[in-house]
Amino acid sequence: MASYHGNTRSGAPEIEQIITVIFAGCLHIILESRCPYVSFPKHSSEQILSFPFPSPSSSPSPPSSCSSSSIGLRDKWFKLAHRDCPAALENIGFSHQSNLEPMIVDVILVKRSGNWDLVNYSPKRGYARNLSGKEWYRCSSENDEFGCEIESEKIIERWVVQYESKQSGDNGGGVMGSNRATCKSSHELYKKSILLLRSLYATVRLLPAYKVFRDLISSAQIRAYNLGHRVSSFVEPFTGREEADMQSFVFPPLDTSCGRLCLSVVYFSSELDIISEPSTPISPQVIHEYVGSPMVEPLKRFTAVPVSQCSPSSSPFGRRHSWSYDLYRVSPSSVNPSPSPTYSESCASMPKQLSHRFPPASLRHHIPNETPPAHMKDPNFHEYWPSPTFSPSSSPSPSPPAYNPASHILKALFRSESAPFGLSVSRLSPLASMPKNQLLPPSPSMGTCGHRVAKTDGYAGLYPTGSMVDKLFASAKEEAGKLSGVKQSSNSSSMKSFSRSPSRFSFQDNFDDSEFSGLLIPDDDDLPESSTRPDAAALFHLLEKAPPLRPDISITTNLVQDSKPVIEEISPESLLGESASLNFSSSEIESSKTTADAFTELVEYKKMKELLLKQCKGTQA
Amino acid sequence: MNCEVCQLNELEVEHFEIREVLRCILHTILFHRALGLVRPKDVDLELFEITYVQCGDVEVERKIDEKIDQFIDRVEKHPKKKNQICLSFYEVKNKQATWFTNKVEHLYWEQWYINLNVMQHPKTPSGKSHHSKLVVDPGVEAGGARRAALEASLRDVLFQIIKFVNEKKDHVPSIPNLEGFLFPYEITISRFCIQDGYVQEDAPDTSSIDAQLIIIALKFTLLLSPCREVKYVALCLKVNMIKPTVCKLELYSIVETEG
Repeated sequence: MASYHGNTRSGAPEIEQIITVIFAGCLHIILESRCPYVSFPKHSSEQILSFPFPSPSSSPSPPSSCSSSSIGLRDKWFKLAHRDCPAALENIGFSHQSNLEPMIVDVILVKRSGNWDLVNYSPKRGYARNLSGKEWYRCSSENDEFGCEIESEKIIERWVVQYESKQSGDNGGGVMGSNRATCKSSHELYKKSILLLRSLYATVRLLPAYKVFRDLISSAQIRAYNLGHRVSSFVEPFTGREEADMQSFVFPPLDTSCGRLCLSVVYFSSELDIISEPSTPISPQVIHEYVGSPMVEPLKRFTAVPVSQCSPSSSPFGRRHSWSYDLYRVSPSSVNPSPSPTYSESCASMPKQLSHRFPPASLRHHIPNETPPAHMKDPNFHEYWPSPTFSPSSSPSPSPPAYNPASHILKALFRSESAPFGLSVSRLSPLASMPKNQLLPPSPSMGTCGHRVAKTDGYAGLYPTGSMVDKLFASAKEEAGKLSGVKQSSNSSSMKSFSRSPSRFSFQDNFDDSEFSGLLIPDDDDLPESSTRPDAAALFHLLEKAPPLRPDISITTNLVQDSKPVIEEISPESLLGESASLNFSSSEIESSKTTADAFTELVEYKKMKELLLKQCKGTQA
Repeated sequence: MNCEVCQLNELEVEHFEIREVLRCILHTILFHRALGLVRPKDVDLELFEITYVQCGDVEVERKIDEKIDQFIDRVEKHPKKKNQICLSFYEVKNKQATWFTNKVEHLYWEQWYINLNVMQHPKTPSGKSHHSKLVVDPGVEAGGARRAALEASLRDVLFQIIKFVNEKKDHVPSIPNLEGFLFPYEITISRFCIQDGYVQEDAPDTSSIDAQLIIIALKFTLLLSPCREVKYVALCLKVNMIKPTVCKLELYSIVETEG
């Protein structure tokens, strides 16, 4: 670049250099406002800039108000500090070998086909290919940056930058003719080139394509179109029809001592002509009515239960409902894929004491830490744990059940902080508001279970009226056996039974049978609806009289007193209306173990009490 | 050095549109005359789908807003008159004050006239409505076509600026003479004034006596003479004027109306 120290000579090489820089500057300004997705060059921008932009050592230094360190080499040329455009830089790299070759920049509107994958959407950076030596760079390919098929391409703008040398003899094509003063010095040319680029910078923002560009870069929506560009030296001219729909704007040419620089643009005048298809929004939307949502099908969720130990992903119903967690505090560690926490958690938190007595085979799969006891093959198992009754995919094959609908009842009986099944179900809605100390299983159930466990593990002396407990377990056994038959039934009937079974979990029905059986076994159509309330009431009364062994047991006793009226209020509708009854976690297994231990101690205490009473009587005598 | 004058097309605007329209036009002109290093700032108009470019200088923005406020005040005081803003670029010739005058001579080398015809509407209940940027007149909804036409006209004005900037570049001072990033400029709210042909700064609210006489004479002529003679009178007035003034605009408008 020629110095400004009074050098008025034409300086042809300097002028040529300025023309080259003008070409690059025009390309940069155009692509900066037309290229929404740009790639980043492997090499540094400074290296690219150093090629076409010689050092403006003789140019006026920038004002002191702007720190030169933050301004790129390119900016110093035309006093325009704007953002980098790697697309332009890459195109410059392919280069514009000669100023005599026109530089034609086509801005292309790429419309995508309708079948494009939103899930696998990933904007691909970079450009596709270089079609030919004449086409310096091509943005779009058969598949654009999003991997979508291109439906159509439309040139919405065509910028032409052309330098006509005077030596070529073509100087009369200018719009203003030859009346314009020729830039006899590089200084003049430099000043006018700054003005030209200022005008270009403002013009690109006034054309309709700029709005398309802004929509693409600003909107979070993925639209059915994209902007691409093509830089070339030779292009096919527009047809007459295309030209009729387009407008043109020609910048007054820049005359130099060596030639004339012309800049023009042909564009579509209306944005409506550019875009004719609505965009496809992909903004995140909350779907309230999904399959299995309680708002859509509040009843159906109880039927959509898997049967096998399939992974949650394989079963369409394997996903837990998040709405059940808050109520029942489901632990994510639960491994049961069943969507119904009522039954899945019951399997997971099955206490050891009962597991070897009433173990569903599926528990081995759902409690990884549990070692499968030998007696899991107990034929009584199927009697007590009708497993796949609740799964729509239930098969008559003797596959181990994925869950145990009644196991949660037993768990409830042994839990120190969990309400009995019937009680907990009755309080499904107010469970969240119910304090923990009230969520205790009924003492009859607990005592019964303890007695049952004691039968095998030495808990025989838990209840003085062992016959009562035996009666409970016997009824439970009968019901379990009936339910096992349900296992072999068809899906519809099993679903039907399942849907109706919660009604049988009500204490009102359970105590019609016995103190215990109704709590253990889910009801079935074949199960007689016998009341167990009198026996249960007696058992509760017994436990009420017993002194507290542990604080939790005393709370249990209080709960029995408090829960008694509530039990009566249980209705099938309330059970059906609740999302899930019990969710048992591993922590609850421990609490049930603690409860079992408490009953063990209770039994021992009873023995000691009787012994002491005998001794007292003996001493008194 | 010649003083190039550009009369931009007249725009018919609502009161609440004045600020945006003037900002757009003034900043666009200044951006083309800020030949120093600038950091362009793209600004989207709120009332129109137009993006214009600013120099990115806070001082320039403040000065423009100040003048726009003055213009709006004047429009409110004289609602029935056409108003004009003049943006002039000058060179300072004599920086040193002389014995007799401290006035520094400004040699204008370019003037831009922005003509606005502010439509009159009944006053809104709010006080200074021109300070609220987005006060939407209830009638705007009904004037959608008018708004679209104004947007197109504004876009034409911007293209007019671009064309003028590129067509006439020789009168622009050389860059080494540039102090700072922008040539010295001033913004005036012009009134009718024929005195020495220059637009008067802080012109009186009423037109000068000479201008009033000319207007009266022209109107009298219209009553007595056919249209051809009226045009002849206007042409004579133009020839006799040394510099273009605002008065000429009204004369032309009268001629066009009668012609």
